[in-house]
Amino acid sequence: MKKIIAVHSYKGGTGKTSLSTNLAATFVRNGKKVCLMDLDFRAPSLHAIFKKQNLDYWLNDYLNGVCEINKVLIDATNNNGNGGKLLVGLANPSTEAIRDMTAKDRKWEMKALGRLLALRSALLNDGNFDYIIFDTSPGLQYSSINAIVAADIVLVVTSLDASDINGSQRMTSELYDLFEKKTGILINKVIVDYLKSKEEQKKFTKKMKDIHNLPILATIPCFCEVLRAAGNFIFTEERPDHPFTETLEDLAEKVEKF
Amino acid sequence: MAAYRKIEGKSTQILEKIRENLEQLNEKIDVMIEIQKHGQRELPENLPEALDVMTLLSLPDHLRKTAVTLCKLEKATADEVSEQTKRARAVESGYLNQLVVMGYMKKEREGRKAYFYVDRET
Repeated sequence: MKKIIAVHSYKGGTGKTSLSTNLAATFVRNGKKVCLMDLDFRAPSLHAIFKKQNLDYWLNDYLNGVCEINKVLIDATNNNGNGGKLLVGLANPSTEAIRDMTAKDRKWEMKALGRLLALRSALLNDGNFDYIIFDTSPGLQYSSINAIVAADIVLVVTSLDASDINGSQRMTSELYDLFEKKTGILINKVIVDYLKSKEEQKKFTKKMKDIHNLPILATIPCFCEVLRAAGNFIFTEERPDHPFTETLEDLAEKVEKF
Repeated sequence: MAAYRKIEGKSTQILEKIRENLEQLNEKIDVMIEIQKHGQRELPENLPEALDVMTLLSLPDHLRKTAVTLCKLEKATADEVSEQTKRARAVESGYLNQLVVMGYMKKEREGRKAYFYVDRET
């Protein structure tokens, strides 16, 4: 079933961009048509992963009503022979663009919500995409709440940090629940010791489920190899046999059924 | 038989007209209740409001559901909104009219149907 997925978190640095990108790549490997969008206009990241700097149009321009979405999207498909396709929409990383986006007023944000809502018809219905993935900015900000309202499901990335857990719990009751969003939790950077055996992994997942009172869609161990990749390439594409890739395959399956 | 059909057609027309008038009366009553609750100052011409996400968050749950649904549909009748929210048409009509009085939405008639929409342009 076609879906818009917003990947969100309370704090920055939880791994939203890494998980959004690798989840998109996993769907593509499974033959899906995916559109990945960088909605973190305060700290754009995807341009660095996809190595694009000077573009004619950015997502900023689409939200400003300057162009239509097809002018923004870039084909980033790695030929995998499965018929999958990856298109990316990038946020403008220039200081001027970031300053411009932080100074928008409520009227503009209301129009931006309309532009995001219009993507469903343009991409899922007319463009025949299977998934749109919004990589959002952390916390309670206009751009991330707009993305959450426009999405079908929210994936909340959290670490085991106490303030992160507490913030995620508050966002559940004060944001996702208020918009009646289907929400799943991804626990990232889990200490490997907690997941040593199937039994311990089960116990850990149960504990997290009780804390968040939401389905735990993934518990992702902290892999040194992923950290070493340092966002220079899409890990699941380069290391198809790595356990991280396996975890993402499992997550993609759960998201599809969610 | 033809005369019977003619009478039947006419009475259906009259009933339709009564239903339409009752609906319009209902909407007017909703608007009056809202004005009484919040006062004239919240009428759209005096206080144009932006229905942004922060405003959506601040609305009571029952109105938020209606407002978010209308944002997604762009322009819709109370019937179309109630299909999405699974609440009664009359309930949605009341909530939509409340949102119009609060200045978050606009309403226009096209023939016999009343359409609600979020005005993002002015």
